[in-house]
Amino acid sequence: MSSPAKWEAVIGLEVHVQLHTQTKMFCGCINQYGGAANSQVCPVCLGMPGSLPVPNEEAIRKTILTGLMLGCRIAPVARFDRKNYFYPDMPKNYQISQFEDPLCAGGAVGLDPFLFPKDLQESDEAKAKRSIRLTRIHLEEDVAKSFHYEERSGIDFNRAGTPLMEIVSEADLRTPGEAFAFLGSLRQVLLSGGVSSADMEKGQMRCDVNVSVRPVGQKEFGTKVELKNLNSISGVRRALEYEIGRQIGAVEKGEAIQHETRRWDDDAGATFTMRTKEKAHDYRYFPEPDLLPVRTDQGLRKAAESGLPELPAALQARLMQENGVTAYQASVLAADRVLCGYYEKAAAGTKHKAAVANWILNDFLATQPDPATSPVRPEFFGELAGLVVEGVINSAQAKKVFAELMANPASPKAIVEKLGLAQISDVGALAAFCDEAIAANPRSVEDYRSGKSNAINALKGFVMKKSQGKANPTQVDEILKAKLSA
Amino acid sequence: MSLAHETLASLRRRLSSKEIHSRDIVKDLLTEIGTREKTVHAFTHIDEKAALAAAEKADSSLPLGGIPIALKDNLNALGDPCTCSSKILEGYKAPYDATAVARLRQAGAIFLGRTNMDEFAMGSSTENSALGITRNPWDSTRIPGGSSGGSAAAVAGRLAIAALGSDTGGSIRQPAALCGCVGLKPTYGRISRYGLVAFASSLDQIGPLTRTVEDSAILLSALAGHDPRDNTTDLRKPETFLSKPTGSVQGLRVGLPKEYFLPGMSPEAEAAVRGAAHWFEKNGATLVEVSLPHTPAAIAVYYILATAEASANLARFDGVRYGRRAVEPKDLLDLYHRSRSEGFGPEVKRRIILGTFVLSQGYADAYYRKAQKVRGLLRQDFESAFTKCDLLLTPTSPEPAFPLGERTQDPLKMYLADVFTISTNLAGNGAISLPCGFTKSNLPIGLQLIGPHFGEEKILQAAHAYEQSHDFWKRMPPV
Amino acid sequence: MSAPKLNVADVAGLARLSLTPDETTKFTAQLSQILAHMETLGQIATGDVPEVVPPAQPVLRPDMPTPSLSVEAALANAPAQSNDLILVPKIVE
Repeated sequence: MSSPAKWEAVIGLEVHVQLHTQTKMFCGCINQYGGAANSQVCPVCLGMPGSLPVPNEEAIRKTILTGLMLGCRIAPVARFDRKNYFYPDMPKNYQISQFEDPLCAGGAVGLDPFLFPKDLQESDEAKAKRSIRLTRIHLEEDVAKSFHYEERSGIDFNRAGTPLMEIVSEADLRTPGEAFAFLGSLRQVLLSGGVSSADMEKGQMRCDVNVSVRPVGQKEFGTKVELKNLNSISGVRRALEYEIGRQIGAVEKGEAIQHETRRWDDDAGATFTMRTKEKAHDYRYFPEPDLLPVRTDQGLRKAAESGLPELPAALQARLMQENGVTAYQASVLAADRVLCGYYEKAAAGTKHKAAVANWILNDFLATQPDPATSPVRPEFFGELAGLVVEGVINSAQAKKVFAELMANPASPKAIVEKLGLAQISDVGALAAFCDEAIAANPRSVEDYRSGKSNAINALKGFVMKKSQGKANPTQVDEILKAKLSA
Repeated sequence: MSLAHETLASLRRRLSSKEIHSRDIVKDLLTEIGTREKTVHAFTHIDEKAALAAAEKADSSLPLGGIPIALKDNLNALGDPCTCSSKILEGYKAPYDATAVARLRQAGAIFLGRTNMDEFAMGSSTENSALGITRNPWDSTRIPGGSSGGSAAAVAGRLAIAALGSDTGGSIRQPAALCGCVGLKPTYGRISRYGLVAFASSLDQIGPLTRTVEDSAILLSALAGHDPRDNTTDLRKPETFLSKPTGSVQGLRVGLPKEYFLPGMSPEAEAAVRGAAHWFEKNGATLVEVSLPHTPAAIAVYYILATAEASANLARFDGVRYGRRAVEPKDLLDLYHRSRSEGFGPEVKRRIILGTFVLSQGYADAYYRKAQKVRGLLRQDFESAFTKCDLLLTPTSPEPAFPLGERTQDPLKMYLADVFTISTNLAGNGAISLPCGFTKSNLPIGLQLIGPHFGEEKILQAAHAYEQSHDFWKRMPPV
Repeated sequence: MSAPKLNVADVAGLARLSLTPDETTKFTAQLSQILAHMETLGQIATGDVPEVVPPAQPVLRPDMPTPSLSVEAALANAPAQSNDLILVPKIVE
C-alpha cells in the first residue's frame, strides 16, 4: 500500500465541568471539595430508598449562562433523563443526565491564537483563528470518589450528586495544538462567567478525547479511539501527539485501528488499551419521572442573561483599541478576570494605559501576586507609569521604586522622595556635570569629534556616575551633543 | 365496646375532650391484634413499646393528637425498618422521615404497625410478600387484594384505626374494595412521595385507608400540599377536605364509562355498582353515559411504563450502601448478581426484566415510547369525559376477593385484576373506593368514584353522601 | 409488530440478575405471553398526542445548603465499611 502524502487527524472532545455552586445538583448538601469522607451526604445523594431529586436552580442558570456565552440555542423546555448503568460510584445505579432535550445545543468555541502552546503561537494553525462547533451542553450529576486497595475499593459519596456540565464538541478539531487551544479558550469563557474554576489538574474540568486519522482529502472518518485519564491541557496535547503518531504508524503498516478506549500514561508518554468496545453500552435512557420539564423561557434565561460577562473576545478587542495593549497582553488579561479587573482599575486614572499594562503584566505578575488581596493598590501602577513617562525618574530608578513598592507598598511618589530618586532635569546642574565630563575625558571628546559617535557613551557614563544615576539621560544626551559640536 | 372499633373522627372528638387517652386506643388495638393478627397477618412489624411510649406523650390538642396510624412498609419513618416486604431490605433502618410520615407526626399522630404488602408494591393480592401472606378478614381463604393488602386488612379487621397505603395501579383502592373499607388515591401531585420507596415514580401516590369517607378526608387534609422535596407536588394551598359535608348529590352529573361494565365481570359486583348508580340518580344526580375508548389498552400501557420505571427505581438495591449483601462475593459483578437475585422475589424479578426489556435498544420505540403516547390518549379520554360529567362511577374491581393461590402462576390474569383502577394512575386523576354491597357469600364489593384532577373535594362529598345513607361501612368482618 | 424473541437471560444480565434454568424457562413463557398482550398497542394510532406532564407546576431548589446526615447515620446501613468509606469488592475498569 502506498502511503498518502499526508494524514490528518479528526478530533472531538467531551468536556466535563464542575459547576461553582453552594449545593449539589439535586439536594442541599454542600458542594465543596475536601470534606471528611461521607460527611456531605444525605438520603438523596446516597440513593436511599424513597428519596427524590429536586434540581438546583443556580446550576441550571449557570449552564444556560455558559450556553449564552458560547452562542448556543437555549432549549425553551429542557428535560432530565435517567441513564442506566450499574457502578458503585453511582448511588442509584442510574445517573440523572440529559439526553433528548439538553439545556443548550449548537454554539462554538473560538480558538484564541495566544492560547495555543507557546511554540505554536506564530504558526498558521494559530493564526487561522478557527471556530470549533459545539454539539450540545447538558447538565448532570457527578459520581462518587473511589479509593482502591489491595482487594477492595472504598467509596466516599461527598462528590456524588454535585453538578456537572458536559460540553460536547463536533469533530472539528484537526491538531493537538487546536485541542490545546480549544480547552484554554473554553476555560477562559468559563472563568469569565464565574461558572467554574475549570482547573483540569484539580479535576474541575475533565476531558475525554475521540480521535481518528484519515488521508487528507478523504471525507469519511477513520475508526475512532477514545482517550481517557487526561489530567491537564498540556497532557491532552501530548496524548494526542502520541496517539495520532501511533495511528498513522499503524495504518501506514496496513494495520486496522481498533475501536477502543485507551488510557494515557503521562509518565510513559504513551497510550495503552483500556477496553475494547465489543458491545455498545445500552444505557436505556428514559425521561426522569421524578422531575418535571424545566421551562427556561419563564425567567431562567433572563436571569442568566443578566449575569452575562463581557466575553473574552470582546474584552480583548476593547483593551487593544482603547488602552493600546498588545494582542498578547489582551489575551492574558482576558484569561484572568481578577487580574484584568486590577489592571482596569490601575489604568482608569492615567493616560498611560499601555505602560501600566507593561508594569502589571511583566513586573507585577512575575512576583506571583494575588491581585484580589494584594496590598499594592492598583492606582500605584498608574502613578509609577506616569513618573517614568513624565521623566521624573528613569527606567533604572523605576525598577528600584517597583522593588520598594512590592516590599513596602506606598505611593510611588512618596517612594521616590523617600529614596531620593528624583531625576535631575535642571539644565544648569546638568550642564555643569557635562562640562566636568568633557574636561576629564579629552580622548573621548577627540574620538567623537573625529566621527566615532559611540564615544559619547563614555561621557554620558561619567555624568550618570557623577549624578549618582539621577541625571535625565535624554537631556544629558542633548546637552553633550550641543557642547561637543560647538 | 373496644376503641379499636371506632372511627378516627369519633376517637379524635373523644381524645380532645379528654374522655379517653391515646394509650387506651393503643391498648385496645393491641388486644385485637393479640387475638386476630396470627390469622390475618396484616403486619410485618409491630413495636408495642414504642407505640405505648408515644401514646403517653401524645398531645391531644393537635389535629391527630394520639391517633394511632398503621404505615405500609414502604414508607420511611426515622429509625424504623422499611422492608417493602422484601428480603433485600433486611436490616435496613430508615435514616429519615417520609414527608407524609413527618406531616402525620406533626399533626400529633402516633404509629402502630408496619403493614404487609406485595414486595415493592408489585402485585394485587399481597401474596408476593417475602414476609408471608395476608388473609382477607371477610374470608381467611381469600386474598385481601394488594398491594396495600396489609393496610386494608388491618383497617377492615379492626387491627388499625386507619392506615397509609400507596397506589400505583390500584394498590389502595382494590384492597379497600376487597376488604370492605375506604381507600383514597389522591390526584398525582397532591401528596408528597418523598420517602415512599418508589415503584413507578410517575404513577405512585400515597393515600389513606380508613373505615369511613370522613376519616379519609381528615387524613388527606393532614397529608396534602406542596413539598419542596418532591418536584412533582402541586403548589396549591392546603385545604381542609369535607369541612362542610353537604350530604347531597343533587345536580351532580355522574358519568358511567361504558368500557367499565364488561361482559366477563362478576354479576354480583356489577349489580351492586349499578345499584349505587341508581341511588345517585334517585337522589337528584344525573347519570350520563360516557366513553373512555382507550381503556382496553390501559393494562398494556401500564405494565410497560410501570415496569420500565421500576427497573431503574429498583437498581439502587444492590447490596452496596444498605440492605442485604451476598455473603463473600468473589467480585463486584458477583456482589450485584447474588445480592439482587437472592434478595428479590419472582414477581419483582419478572417486572424488572420486563421493564429492562421495554427500554432496551431496538425495543424502546415499539414499547416504551409507544406506551407513553397511548398514555397521552388515555389522559385525553378522561379530559373529554369530564367535560360531560363531574365524577365517574365505576366498579373498583371486576370481582370480589379471589381465593389464595388462584393466580400466582398466571401473572397476566393477575394483572387483569387491575383493569378498572390503573387508568386513573395513568391519567393522574384522584379516585376513591368505598363499599357498595356484599356478595351472597358475604364478600365486600367496592364502588369507585373518579374525579377530575384535584377534584378530591367533589369525590369526598359524593362518597360521603352515599356512605351515610347506607350501613355497609358498619358491618364487621367475621374473622 | 410480532412478539420479539425475548432473551430473558441477556435482559436479566443488564439488570444484574442471575436466573436459575427453571426461572429462565418460566419467565420466558410468562413474559412472552405478556409481551404478546402488549403488542395490541401497535394497532393504536398515535399521531399528535401531547406529552404527558404531571398536573403540577415544577419548583426548582434555591442554591442554599441544608443539613447533611452525620457520617454515622450515613454509614449506619452499610454492609461493609472502613475508615468512613463504604467498601465493595475491588473495582476494576
